[in-house]
Amino acid sequence: MTYPAKPTSTRSLMLEVRDVTKHYEGVTALDHAGLSLGAGEIHALLGGNGAGKSTLISILSGVTKPDSGEIVLGGEMISVSGPLAAMSAGISTIYQELSLVPALSVLDNIYLGRELKRKTLGLPLTLDRRRMEADVRDLAADFGVTSSELRQPVSEFGALKKRSIEIIKALAFDTKVLILDEPTSGLEEAERRVLFSHMRSMRDRGVSLIWVTHHLEELFGLADKATVFKDGRTVGTVDIASTSVGDLIGLMFGAAQEEFGGGDTRKITHLEPSHKRRVVLSARNLSRGSAIRDVCLEVHEGEIVGLAGLAGAGRTEVVRLLMGLDARTAGTVELDGRRLSLRNSTAAYRAGIAMLPEDRKQLGILADLSTAQNISISRLSTVASAGFWMSRRKERALAEDYRRQLGIKTPNVEARIGNLSGGNQQKAIVARCLNTSPKLLIFDEPTQGIDVSAKVEVHALVRDYAANGGAAILIASEIEELLELSHRVLVMKKGQVVGEVRDIPAAIEAGDFSRIKSEVLTLSAAGQIS
Amino acid sequence: MKHSSPFARIMSIPGMPMTVVLIVSVIVFQLLNPVFLDGRTVGNYLTNGIPILLLTLGVSIVIIGGGIDLSVGTVAGLSAGTTMFALVNGAPLAVGIAVGCGTGLLFGLVNGILVAYLRINDFIVTLATLNIAAGLLVVLSQVQPLQGVTVPGFSELTKGSVFGIPTSFFIAGVVFVIAHLLLAKTIVGRRLYATGISAPASNVAGVSVPHLRLFTFAASGLLAGIAGVLFASRLGAVQAFLGIGYEFIAIAGAVVGGITLAGGGGSVWAALVGGLFLATLQQGLRINNVDPVYFSIVTAVAIVFGVVFERQVRRVILRAALNRTALSTNDRGRSADQHMNERQPAERVAAVTAPEGSKNDAK
Repeated sequence: MTYPAKPTSTRSLMLEVRDVTKHYEGVTALDHAGLSLGAGEIHALLGGNGAGKSTLISILSGVTKPDSGEIVLGGEMISVSGPLAAMSAGISTIYQELSLVPALSVLDNIYLGRELKRKTLGLPLTLDRRRMEADVRDLAADFGVTSSELRQPVSEFGALKKRSIEIIKALAFDTKVLILDEPTSGLEEAERRVLFSHMRSMRDRGVSLIWVTHHLEELFGLADKATVFKDGRTVGTVDIASTSVGDLIGLMFGAAQEEFGGGDTRKITHLEPSHKRRVVLSARNLSRGSAIRDVCLEVHEGEIVGLAGLAGAGRTEVVRLLMGLDARTAGTVELDGRRLSLRNSTAAYRAGIAMLPEDRKQLGILADLSTAQNISISRLSTVASAGFWMSRRKERALAEDYRRQLGIKTPNVEARIGNLSGGNQQKAIVARCLNTSPKLLIFDEPTQGIDVSAKVEVHALVRDYAANGGAAILIASEIEELLELSHRVLVMKKGQVVGEVRDIPAAIEAGDFSRIKSEVLTLSAAGQIS
Repeated sequence: MKHSSPFARIMSIPGMPMTVVLIVSVIVFQLLNPVFLDGRTVGNYLTNGIPILLLTLGVSIVIIGGGIDLSVGTVAGLSAGTTMFALVNGAPLAVGIAVGCGTGLLFGLVNGILVAYLRINDFIVTLATLNIAAGLLVVLSQVQPLQGVTVPGFSELTKGSVFGIPTSFFIAGVVFVIAHLLLAKTIVGRRLYATGISAPASNVAGVSVPHLRLFTFAASGLLAGIAGVLFASRLGAVQAFLGIGYEFIAIAGAVVGGITLAGGGGSVWAALVGGLFLATLQQGLRINNVDPVYFSIVTAVAIVFGVVFERQVRRVILRAALNRTALSTNDRGRSADQHMNERQPAERVAAVTAPEGSKNDAK
């Protein structure tokens, strides 16, 4: 594949990775992979799970040693023998899981392990905080951290500030190449924009960025180039200015995939007007202290109701009330016309409400149990005799059924679920929910942290569930995802429902995607962020 | 997953590495002194060890469910005391046994309610009940000397036999088999492991975590009660400080056997093997004329050694064996996944409903 050379490609080379190969116990993670990074360039690194991105990053940051290959930084061949060697060579990495020490101040975090010291009694024993602060003050201010914030513990800050602190930490020392692993995860729309402006200002300082992301639409207008990995090999490098999401997906997965971004509605089912359909869930005046106030919510059969809002708007809190995970202080919940008391989650499942929770690793999977055991756990009676005696055979058969139906990719349903990829774990959790034959299924951030192709599959599961007459509530921070899947969106703010957008499939079909998107965004951010 | 070697599969069963150690230590002690495996000696030391084994089992159940119970030792002591008290005051045998078991169960329920429903830290709660039980036993022993029971059959509980098996063996056997079936084969057992692995995730999945917590403490309390009755039967007299320190032997036995303190790992078998190992070690030392003052030191070293051994075996040998054949590293898992990603997702989802089989089972 050839791509027209753009002026950007004339930038001098900062980093070149040549012919890097890495085997793990017989499996080839990287196969003569390469990457060329210009000076002051934002370079996206793309690929599905298992494409080799993580391996390349861990090689560049000194965590893993390659079997063969060369790394050339600024014209010199370097050997990255360990994390410290990488940093002193000028390669820093900001991992998806933040690596700041919460209890230490911002300043101490920035200088952790590289502290400036002052001599006391002739020995360098005391930290010279004044000098450290003087050295980074201007830099910190550029990335939105004031000098008084430098002295506060990191634990007091949100996700965006923490990323900024990591950026300052990298730039405080001579960093030529900064690797960002999914830097926008956990950030809201407005926060993302701030992060992107930080990335631009780093580029302006001449730092080269390697940016790993699953969110392809974020690349446009920001990244200069993208290199696509597949099966440990470099598929190609493209100029972002001359490509599209579809092209990139084609490179990543070989075949044209289902829609991604842009508001395609091919799969969504159109619904009859709501008064003709049965109401499945009717929640009135749900309240929990002052956190959730008077939330009213109806879900009809076959309908996907999206909850939109910023972080902290109370979306997850509302569904936790519906699941009986938190106690409500007021309000009623009716399912199929029957009043529910919802004393705990067991009661919710028994009544016919199931939930796929946010934060798959902490709240979703039971990592040490097998895939089969994870699927059966919410309704063990389906795999037991006489109501209490577990049948391993039935459990296995149930899991095999779902494995086929939902396309869960695992060689063995009785192997530990913790070893599966994120997308397959998520499908197993969907299976767990379906096994309880729910009347209402709640999806809370169903595609968090899973790769693009798994995402498309999970989207299909959500749609198919509704198409078969199920009622669903969906929470998704990614507004495009929310709109593409929902029939109707309720917008929440500060624990209340502040607006509703109806007939979304029809609106999207009429080409109004960006109008309803801005409508939802305006509602959820009104008076908060421009 | 392709099957790994049979050795690796056997050793991956919780408690298996320790079983090997137990067998080896028995052989070593036997070679050192042939009296070791003499029938009478074995019967004796096992009879003495059985109450502690029951405590180990109780603590193990709590630990598997993600908690800790420090009160088992003194609760067993108090249960021995209340049994004695009832019998000394003329209660029939059955009532005496019921009083002892009931004392343990009551303490277990109190522990469980405080931990599960009032959400007080289990370490604190059981530390408190440990001291309450210890204190009550002192009070009780001052009310009346706890000895001189003549109720027929009471001492037979530990000294007699059923179907040719020593009675306490029989009781312990029944208890262990029931516990094993409960944990390994029933819905309750599965929920117990799930809760131990992650209480928040289990709660989201619809498991009643508080009910299970209560159950584990109640079970542990009941087992402490049974242990107390056996103590009283074997000793014939209950001293004011009976049971103090036994909680540590019980917890040590559980941990040595391979029950992970973090919760969610281990089995009844592991608890049994760990408890037996500690008992065997002490007996071996005793028979080889080691001064009893060294017991606690040797036992402590053995505990650390045992835990390290268990973990290393499971980590090193197993990983090597499994890696050769199965997916267990992330990268390998990802690659396998990636291969399947290449396939067209046509067969992806036909219809998303609960499988027919499962629906039928539900009815």
